[in-house]
Amino acid sequence: MKKIINLSLGIWMTFSVIAQVPVPASSQNQPILLVGGVAHIGNGEVIQNSLIGFDKGKITLVNESSNNVTDSSGFKVIDITGKHVYPGFILPNSQIGLQEVSSIRAMSDMDERGEMNPNVRSVISYNTDSEFIPTFRFNGILVAETTPVGGRISGTSSVMEMEGWNWEDAAHTVDIGIHMNWPSKMNRKFDYNTYTAKMEPNKKYDGSIASLKELFKDALAYGTKLNPSVNLKLAALQGLFNGNLILFIHAGTSKEIIESVLFTKEIGVQKMVLISGSALLNIVGFLREHDIGVIIPPTHSMPSRVDEDVYGPYKLPSQLFEAGLTVSLSHRGMLAHGRNLPFFAGTAAAYGLDKEEALKMITSNTAKLLGIDDRLGTLMIGKDATLFVSEGDALDFRTNILSHAFISGKQVTLNNKQQELYQRFSKKYGHID
Amino acid sequence: MRLRGLIILIGLLLVNIQVFSQETVTPNDVHDERVHDYAFINAHLFVDYQTEIKNATLLIKEGKVIQMGANLTAPLDYILVDLKGKYIYPSLIDLHTHYGLPKAALAKSRGFTGAEQMLTKTPGAYNANEAIKSDFDASEVFNNNEKTATIFRKIGFGSVLSFRADGIARGTSTFTTLGDNPNKNILIQNAAAHYSLNKGTSKQYYPGSTMGYISLLRQTYLDAAWYGQFNPRPFLDQSLEAWIAGQNLPQFFDAGGWINVLRADKVGDEFDIQYVIKSGGDTYKRIEEIKATGATLIAPINFPEAYDVDDPIDALSVSLADMKHWELAPSNLARLEAAGINFAITSDGLTKKSNFLNQMRKAIDHGLSESTALKALTHTPAKLIQIDDQLGSLRPDMLANFIITSGKLFDEKTIIYENWVQGKAYRFQSLSTEDYQGKYTLTLDNKDYQMTITGAAGSEKAQLILNDSVTHEIKSALTATLAAFSFPLNKKTIRLSGWRTDSGWKGTGQLADGKWIQWNSTRTSDLDPKQEKKKLTTPPTDALGPVIFPFVAFGNETHPQQHTLLIKNTTVWTNETMGILEDTDVLLKEGKISEIGKNLQDPSALVIDGRGKHLTSGIIDEHSHIGGGGNDRATNSSMVRIGDQLNSEDINIYRALAGGVTAVQVLHGSANPVGGQSALIKLRWGVAPDDLKIKNADGYIKFALGENVKRSRNPSSTRFPQTRMGVEQVYMDGFTQALAYDKVWSVYDELPKKSKINIHQPRRDLVDEAMMEIINKERFITCHSYVQSEINMLMKVAEQFNFNINTFTHILEGYKVADKMKAHGAGASTFSDWWNYKWEVRYAIPYNACYHVH
Repeated sequence: MKKIINLSLGIWMTFSVIAQVPVPASSQNQPILLVGGVAHIGNGEVIQNSLIGFDKGKITLVNESSNNVTDSSGFKVIDITGKHVYPGFILPNSQIGLQEVSSIRAMSDMDERGEMNPNVRSVISYNTDSEFIPTFRFNGILVAETTPVGGRISGTSSVMEMEGWNWEDAAHTVDIGIHMNWPSKMNRKFDYNTYTAKMEPNKKYDGSIASLKELFKDALAYGTKLNPSVNLKLAALQGLFNGNLILFIHAGTSKEIIESVLFTKEIGVQKMVLISGSALLNIVGFLREHDIGVIIPPTHSMPSRVDEDVYGPYKLPSQLFEAGLTVSLSHRGMLAHGRNLPFFAGTAAAYGLDKEEALKMITSNTAKLLGIDDRLGTLMIGKDATLFVSEGDALDFRTNILSHAFISGKQVTLNNKQQELYQRFSKKYGHID
Repeated sequence: MRLRGLIILIGLLLVNIQVFSQETVTPNDVHDERVHDYAFINAHLFVDYQTEIKNATLLIKEGKVIQMGANLTAPLDYILVDLKGKYIYPSLIDLHTHYGLPKAALAKSRGFTGAEQMLTKTPGAYNANEAIKSDFDASEVFNNNEKTATIFRKIGFGSVLSFRADGIARGTSTFTTLGDNPNKNILIQNAAAHYSLNKGTSKQYYPGSTMGYISLLRQTYLDAAWYGQFNPRPFLDQSLEAWIAGQNLPQFFDAGGWINVLRADKVGDEFDIQYVIKSGGDTYKRIEEIKATGATLIAPINFPEAYDVDDPIDALSVSLADMKHWELAPSNLARLEAAGINFAITSDGLTKKSNFLNQMRKAIDHGLSESTALKALTHTPAKLIQIDDQLGSLRPDMLANFIITSGKLFDEKTIIYENWVQGKAYRFQSLSTEDYQGKYTLTLDNKDYQMTITGAAGSEKAQLILNDSVTHEIKSALTATLAAFSFPLNKKTIRLSGWRTDSGWKGTGQLADGKWIQWNSTRTSDLDPKQEKKKLTTPPTDALGPVIFPFVAFGNETHPQQHTLLIKNTTVWTNETMGILEDTDVLLKEGKISEIGKNLQDPSALVIDGRGKHLTSGIIDEHSHIGGGGNDRATNSSMVRIGDQLNSEDINIYRALAGGVTAVQVLHGSANPVGGQSALIKLRWGVAPDDLKIKNADGYIKFALGENVKRSRNPSSTRFPQTRMGVEQVYMDGFTQALAYDKVWSVYDELPKKSKINIHQPRRDLVDEAMMEIINKERFITCHSYVQSEINMLMKVAEQFNFNINTFTHILEGYKVADKMKAHGAGASTFSDWWNYKWEVRYAIPYNACYHVH
């Protein structure tokens, strides 16, 4: 008990000492025109000398500045000559806002107990005061899918803006999909007798699939009942059958991917996206045939097998692109590192992918796979004015230096606690660069 | 005269028997002592692994060999056993068994959760560490086990060494024959002392890693030496008493895979002990290093089963290393033999012991010679356990432990008929010398049929030949006296029963319709000569894939060589005051940078065009855990050494190289305020573990602060310390103890030689010695650190003991006290951008490194 009191006191004291996260911006109150920047549209196109205008949170103008006489009156004009403008980067399959300090149980709200939790919803747990959020914006990530984890069905995810007074404020698209963790077919076992690894069938595999099947069949039947007694879990699954929700399938090996996709088709789910890694490479034909988009792990990962090409993770995006798949890049592991998403794309570009294609993997492709491409992912008229300006190439560590970022037209603060601490101690040592 | 001599000899033997039998037992009956004297005649006798006698006679009496030889006449009172066409071998010896011992409870995996058991809970006056079980005496709990004994006997074993696989020091084993009377069977009560790198059922927190197991062994050797000086003892430690007593026995180390074989041997070297080492089946991977140990091995023959790779996607989950091991493991013993390494063979690890001879045959098919195979199962194990005067060969006065086989032991079709243990027979197959093979005429119901019988008696096969293309299997049951056949004829079964005649059989039978008939069968000729299956003639190891170094994907068939290299016209990052040089040449000779400049020439050099490329000195990672990192568990683990557990086969060495990293400090983990000693290595892909080390490098040690050492993620933790206040005290205590220790030794060292004789040498303590090295500036600290208060604290502790902290690693709040670090003279090795994964790192900022530079 004493420990708990100490801990909560600690948290309180901390927040009283350091600054809060930056104050959320107010909504766009005047049209803004970005003039002269290199516009990376997010669909593969680049406009060298661009005009990007937006008003009331929506993009109203995308053009070349040289061959167009645009009336800039009424616009607040921002000259970004020599700089680059990008659609806001989108981080899929993240636990942003659900978890703060991972080592502390009290600070984690991402993994509900139980196996089948389609009814738990990440949106209501999204903490707009998370200290991570401003640091993600700092690198150009302006939107994220915040996603529950664990169990067989982890829960329902939502697309969130990286800014807001509260979760209702920050919600971009509520309840976009349900995340399912497909079981492993085989277990790896080390045999100390012969010093070799052995693959053994997972005895629980069939049982796990049977219980998934039962759940989905029950949900289908539930949907056809006229006056069912309410079942929160079955109700939460209904959107999968009418295309309102996407089923995100987390599957490890090639065979698990095939079985999970065929399973998903069989039970009548309308939309699905795969979340998997290098195992995708062996079955690209299958994935093309079924027209399934994929969300893949960060390029800054270790190869998944000892025998795999050391640069395998760097090459995976380009290999899957060559195979004709719609690919989106994501992050795994330490939450803080999610902010490196742009650089995952940068590495993909260094290993065989055209840079604008790499950009698509963190913008338009991701928007498409999350079902939000009507509003996000490219710099196009009518879409959300969620975009940012960088001094240089935003996919490069050295030149990803943001000067302006807008989320639905609101100009958001880029500096955060880290810059404040930098300035604070610069005062101590008497230098600031 | 000669006859008289023989009588006297027999007389002596009888006296011997009186002594040998168990006189202390009073029978619950009249006395019924019988003399079992056997003469095995006409046998093909293997006296030992290299001595064969054809048409030999073997005389045994009361469990011992009396005599053997070619022209030996069996005395009249001996029971004659005719072994025409059969073989006798000394029975086999297995030195790695747990035969007749209660099963040791399986050790459960112990993670970093739950309350740590810091002290021993073994009741009684035993060692302070539960993993030191040297007091265990297998003979105290041994009992023969008929079921297990039968399994061993059937595959040819006649005696085994039995130890309990529990603990780092496992106590003593007992050596026994596989008979049914422990009083008589145990030949050596305390046969060997056993050790391992596995703490077994010990629940004590320390040790918890290979380097920890080695440290505990090392300290126990020192403790035993110190304790043994005293008479009377300063206190009673029965484990140390037994340890000391056990040093006179053969020392057996259960190591496992080849890396552990090398590690075990190195521990032995430190204390002038040559262990007999139980290896894994993978010693072929580093045969040179294994040979250099000089150890005799106990090698298994449990080769991996073939992987199912029919499905190419499934096949991806089988690593190259595992595939290669599957291919090469059966050649392991042949390679040991070729390298001149002495070894015994154990049946340990076989899923089915009945598979033993098949596995031996596989090893022989892969190049192991039959005589070495036999040696490794008889002579070598007998010698290792110092019982070669009784076992391992069949000579006068040795134990009558032998097997009778149908042919050469390792031939494919050979069967073991009988296994004699100390003169008592265990029979599996009739010894009948009958040979039924041949062509026969079978006459029944006034008709003649052709019949053939093939195969050795007992497993013979009979066939009815109707014409060239139509044959019927005949079910047969043949003994020396009786015969039974049954077979279908015109879809009706005919059953015959009969007895042996000089030329075949005859008897009565019954047709399908119930009619009784008379029949007879006469042998007409031998079988047609059959073509022998061709044996492999090329040395099979040549047909196998190569061994690669390291034995993992991307390993090399040969070790990389140094070359003279000239890299031309490149951008050189000197990382020295010269800075970056454009369009420059660099000449490398004998592993050193020989010249940097323009237009360099060297005709002997391999030239590399560096245009458009960059050249830099290799990246050095101050904080790495690849190639053998790990964590032990004592609050102060200064005695554990990463260098004891380096792993040259870690794929991450290759991956780091691919990223430009050429050298790393392999650090102990951060679970304890004082972690272990680090190893500085170069990423020499392919060399043996010890060759990774940078020669003559300074000694370093890992310290750690904060949440990890407080065990913050384990709510049940009870280990001291639980606060940062306690962490400081661990250091204060550690260095204070070290100084006191140093003083005791200085006093002792300065004593004149004469006085030293009368005084006990102080105890050596490896924790204190490592701490003292730090104070003496012979070992340097790399400290895992986050929060400014603790960083400051450690510098103050160091200053009190007059040394400096060399490096603060992670050091995420270092920017807050960078001025103090500079004043102290500490270096920093920081994460570029990690934060908020623990409470103590929420103020980490990516500007940290730039502050330290400023």
